[in-house]
Amino acid sequence: MLEIKNLHAKVEGEDIEILKGVNLKVNAGEIHAIMGPNGSGKSTLSKVVSGHPEYEVTDGEILFEGEDITEMDADERAHLGLFLAFQYPVEVPGITNKTLLREAYNTIARANDREELDPLEFEDYLVSKLDVIEMKDEFLNRSINTGFSGGEKKKNEIFQMAVLDPKLSFLDETDSGLDIDALKIVSDGVNKIANDEKAIVLITHYQRLLNYIKPDFVHVMMNGKIIKSGDIALAEELEANGYDQLQKELMLNGEAQ
Amino acid sequence: MSEVLAKDTILSYIGSEIESKASSVSIRAINERGREAVEKTAFPTKKDEDWRFINLKSITKNSFVSVNDAGVKDAGDISGHYLPEALNTRLVFVNGVYNETLSSVDGLPKGVIVGNLSEYADHETVKEYLGTITNYEDDVFAPFNDAVFSDGTFIYVPEETTVEAPIHILNVFTDAEKPFFATPRLLFVGEMYSKATIIEEHIGLSNNAYLNVPVTEFKLFSGAHVHHARIQRDSKTASHVSRPIAMLDGHAEYHSYTICLGAKLFRNDPRVIQNAEEVDFTVDGLVLIDGEQIADTHSIMDHRFAHGRSHQLHKCVINDEAHSIFNGKIFVAKDAQKIDSFQENRNLLLSDDGKVNTKPQLEIFADDVLCSHGATIGQLSDEEVFYLHSRGLTEQKSRELLVYAFALESVESMEVESVEKLLLDEVIKYTTRD
Repeated sequence: MLEIKNLHAKVEGEDIEILKGVNLKVNAGEIHAIMGPNGSGKSTLSKVVSGHPEYEVTDGEILFEGEDITEMDADERAHLGLFLAFQYPVEVPGITNKTLLREAYNTIARANDREELDPLEFEDYLVSKLDVIEMKDEFLNRSINTGFSGGEKKKNEIFQMAVLDPKLSFLDETDSGLDIDALKIVSDGVNKIANDEKAIVLITHYQRLLNYIKPDFVHVMMNGKIIKSGDIALAEELEANGYDQLQKELMLNGEAQ
Repeated sequence: MSEVLAKDTILSYIGSEIESKASSVSIRAINERGREAVEKTAFPTKKDEDWRFINLKSITKNSFVSVNDAGVKDAGDISGHYLPEALNTRLVFVNGVYNETLSSVDGLPKGVIVGNLSEYADHETVKEYLGTITNYEDDVFAPFNDAVFSDGTFIYVPEETTVEAPIHILNVFTDAEKPFFATPRLLFVGEMYSKATIIEEHIGLSNNAYLNVPVTEFKLFSGAHVHHARIQRDSKTASHVSRPIAMLDGHAEYHSYTICLGAKLFRNDPRVIQNAEEVDFTVDGLVLIDGEQIADTHSIMDHRFAHGRSHQLHKCVINDEAHSIFNGKIFVAKDAQKIDSFQENRNLLLSDDGKVNTKPQLEIFADDVLCSHGATIGQLSDEEVFYLHSRGLTEQKSRELLVYAFALESVESMEVESVEKLLLDEVIKYTTRD
């Protein structure tokens, strides 16, 4: 579904490269976890994949279902079925969740020659998705993330994901700042959404989230590159020994620069 | 005081004789007083502190004549501008002249008066209050209105009376052969515990230049509640200089919302005076300007007595080379303790060439008050735009939605559904223009 080849990227207008040759392949039905210390480039990877204009791809390519999306605008990527759950969801006073989601849903539907939903149909559809994150109806009429607690903001990201029904979702540190109850609800939500046709990439600093969402693959990112891939055992090893230990081992083996 | 030469007064931009057309003695007296003030008051220049930032060219490069000399065109069918909620509570003025045929005031409760000032000139209340609430100081425009008005709106709401339907004061301005001046006038007197909603609209029907100088005076007795919306949709080449003033007795509430969409030059000096203890008032504004429009608000929230609450949220969206100016003063007199006053000016700049000058000011002489003020100038945040963009909306649509959201808060205060709808359409028109 997603193939990232030798991806290099930097902040537009600056010289320092943040991604230094990322390779990653994600198939339908798979859940991947990308772990790494702060500043390793994992959040940047999610933003570059979703088309954030702040970043410039200097080399490599991103293929989505075989199509090169490297230069595509963020909305066109969303139309193809890409979704980014933000690490820091943005507050947008004055626009309700419902307004944004209806506009987004119908825009995506139009782009894919699917039927748009009228306000009443859409209301029913939205309400049917509230269960995913155990939220009440009022949630729909609140301004996007405005005055939301940290947990509510993250739940809202998962709710948007449920409503927009993307093929591939990047969840950027969705677990950060969540208490245990909120973490469970958010994880349950993701598990309800996950199926054989969808792919999910979890970006996280800690192994904690992976107790609730079981990844098929775990990758470690450091210094702008994926330096090691494996299964859940790799995450457990990281939790036990930390990133420093892993880096030392790889240095000894000559696998990392 | 040094002599002011005629060429330095507003009269040098006026191409007609200034003469009283009023038939009543009391209005003629106000005309006379205004005329005297006009003749000895210098027209403002950039050297005057209150006029430092504003470019007055769209007035000074013109010569405005009276409506009678301007070769004004017909208004045509303006029924599209009628509010469904105010079908029988509407006064219409065409170029400042009362139009009885287009007006309809059959839907008023007993004792309530909504009519032409010149017709009610001898009414006791008119004689007592008309022209007494405005304050000239060194102003040129209020005296100019005083000097030439004869028609105008008189609204009187008796004690403990509620006017449910909004009262719609519809000022339309037609096309003309020459630029003309108009001086809409409004006197509102609300007796104790009365209640009313006033929608004051200014609409340019064509794209001609004219000078619109409205004066509105509101006198609220104890416990009177008034909601006053002012919607300025003048022609984009017109100049609009307005002087709305409200005088509040104890427990009165006056909530005003000024929406600025039209005019090349808009200058608004709203002033609310707390004239007894325990009042509550709002002086909100929404400005949406583009092209070369200038919108300048100089407001005064004047707390002269203790225990008052006031609130001002002045929001501006500026595109192209437009220029927004805000100078808001909160005055709190020495013995006016326990005042709770809040003032905020928020500006959203959409272009590189737009300009904003903002200066919120507090002048507080009491020592036990809660007053705050602030001003922000910002652009749409890239993160907000990307958030919506990443959800599948085009970048353009994302920006439109954010501007719409910025403006929405002010529109939602309108309380009259059709006005809200009309303003939402205006906001959409503004945000989606090409």
